Amino acid sequence: MTMPQHAILVLVLPLLSAAIIALFFRRAGGIASAISTATATAIAALALILAFKGERFEASLEWLRFGDFSLKLGFKFDDLAALMLTIVGIVGLCVHVFSLGYMHDDAHRARYFGGLSIFMFSMLGIVFADNLFMMFIYWELVGFSSWLLINHYLHKQSAADAAKKAFIANRVGDFGFLLGIVWCYAQFGTTNLSELEKLADGAAFSFWIPLFLFCGAVGKSAQLPLHVWLPDAMEGPTPVSALIHAATMVAAGIYMLCRINVLMTADALQVIMWVGAATALYAALCAIVQSDIKKVLAYSTLSQLGYMVAAFGLGSLSVSHGDHSHLMAAGVGAAMFHLTTHAFFKALMFLGSGSVIHACHHEQDIFKMGGLAKKLPVTFATFTIGVLAIIGMPGLAGFFSKDAILYLAYAKNTGVFAVLALTAVLTSFYMVRMWKITFLGTPRSENADHAHEGGLTLTAPLVVLGVLSVIGGYGFFYSTIFAGKFDGVIDQIVHPHGTDHMVILGVSLAVMLVGGLAALGLYKPAATDSLADKAPGAFAGLSALKASFDRAYDYYVAKIQQRFAMVLNFIEQIFLAGLIVRGLAGIFGLFGLGARALHVGNVNAYAYWFLLGAVALWALAAGVLKF
Amino acid sequence: MIPATLNGYLAISVALFAIGLLGVLVRRNTLVVFMCLELMLVASTLALVAFSRFNGTADGNTFVFFILTVAAAEVAVGLAIIVALFRKRQTIQIDQLNALKN
Repeated sequence: MTMPQHAILVLVLPLLSAAIIALFFRRAGGIASAISTATATAIAALALILAFKGERFEASLEWLRFGDFSLKLGFKFDDLAALMLTIVGIVGLCVHVFSLGYMHDDAHRARYFGGLSIFMFSMLGIVFADNLFMMFIYWELVGFSSWLLINHYLHKQSAADAAKKAFIANRVGDFGFLLGIVWCYAQFGTTNLSELEKLADGAAFSFWIPLFLFCGAVGKSAQLPLHVWLPDAMEGPTPVSALIHAATMVAAGIYMLCRINVLMTADALQVIMWVGAATALYAALCAIVQSDIKKVLAYSTLSQLGYMVAAFGLGSLSVSHGDHSHLMAAGVGAAMFHLTTHAFFKALMFLGSGSVIHACHHEQDIFKMGGLAKKLPVTFATFTIGVLAIIGMPGLAGFFSKDAILYLAYAKNTGVFAVLALTAVLTSFYMVRMWKITFLGTPRSENADHAHEGGLTLTAPLVVLGVLSVIGGYGFFYSTIFAGKFDGVIDQIVHPHGTDHMVILGVSLAVMLVGGLAALGLYKPAATDSLADKAPGAFAGLSALKASFDRAYDYYVAKIQQRFAMVLNFIEQIFLAGLIVRGLAGIFGLFGLGARALHVGNVNAYAYWFLLGAVALWALAAGVLKF
Repeated sequence: MIPATLNGYLAISVALFAIGLLGVLVRRNTLVVFMCLELMLVASTLALVAFSRFNGTADGNTFVFFILTVAAAEVAVGLAIIVALFRKRQTIQIDQLNALKN
């Protein structure tokens, strides 16, 4: 088989799996989970083959044609796509295997696994897409599968609401994305990524195009102000949160930005950078006061996504080698690097939290856990690796990728550097807080007391992701294990040298230690939040900050949008429905009423009408009546 | 004896036609209405014959043949309908034949 055929197979397999499950095995959870997991295994294997063969290609096929406009479906498989494909494949497989154990007793397992398959299909479509229209189609499919999976516990009102919220918030962003695509087509006459690369290089165009396209990423990657859906999306099953709302789908926004890097203008990058930095800081502040283990991770995901967006917004960097210098797409490199390591350690932590929740009989409140370190040794060990990775402990994956971003910020923009460094302090603070309250101390509820490690399907993915969370940051992981197959992306990462190196290392260690030690000292593994006890003002402030966006949206929807809709409804009722629709109907009704009166059912009466008609005809012919 | 003039024939014709029309409009028995219709046809036939006689042309006479033919056919069909109607409804009073309206 040629490589493009492999790629088509990767894309079609999950669709087939979803279709087979939907058509034949809706009630057969066991068969459905086997089909879906086998598909995920095949995808992971094919993804590795595609990545290792090192063949990069582009191929497309016309799908629809309207006049001059033709819509093509195609593959653009470069190093960026290969890296993303590998991440989706590996994390997807881990999550499928984990789901086998986690969802084993769920009555609607078949629907769940069908949903996972349709998600894999949509996500891979985004990865492969060679033009923006195709990307948009899969972008929407991803939104749909996300809705399907958040809504898995559909009898729970909160889950149904969260699914709707996610879908609607994403629609807002997607509308901007679509506008951007149409504008892009109007400007360049194509949306093919490779052609855009040639056309846009050095051309002057509106900074609104990249900004509108960024709207899509704001929705999907949950940046301010559309971030509200992601914390609520935690209503879905935990493996879904790991796969979709931490590792892959929310990263699609970053991936899309890297895809359209050539369209970026300096102004647009500024906006993107500050949106990312603001999200990173805001979400980190919110994470401090969360008591739900998944919500902490959700806000942490938001914060890390903000990191990636900010890194992308920092843009390219001129690097000098001896006497000559060249421009590197350092933003893309740093963002994708962090995306990769984040996918590993955040999926690890989400699956770890899933293992904890599973062990504690679906208890999610960290203040009702405690003492799980001894009860869940594998989960504890791997989760600790995840925590250390995200707070940037030297030697783990997060350390390297975070340093790459911090260095880029240091070199380009001091303001952003300060925000990101502060975020790193907070990250390490809330992560250590959660880790300590969940795993240390003594069990604080019956469920936590009876917790025990799940089967191999629950622990094996944790171990795999734990290993990746360690080695995923090292150069040899990409240069030796993957034999330099992702160099197109990895080479764009800028590494600090000399004094810069020492500064970044110092800052990164300092922020990690300050945050981590503060949390270690402040929090006790107890049933109440130590911050709420010691500084209730700060706790209330952070809680209000977290709720502020939801309140603002509630106000907007209930007070402004709803009233505007009522005015429109009133106008519609009076003018459209009342005057035009009912008015016309009324006029014809009157005619009908008159005509019905003529029909009296008496032959004599008809004879009179006939006579009258004859007289009228005569009058007309004789010229008595004139028109 | 009164001399036979065109106006005299036409006056008789108009009188016959008016009687026929009045009968159609006011009578309630279908059979009588039908006879009145025939009367209107005969009245017009009389006028046509008179025109033909006084103008010395054959146009009116030719018309009359057609009218008689059509009238014969119409009578055959019409009477058959009235007989069938009576068999079905036991009445031929037109104010009772209003099934379409109610």
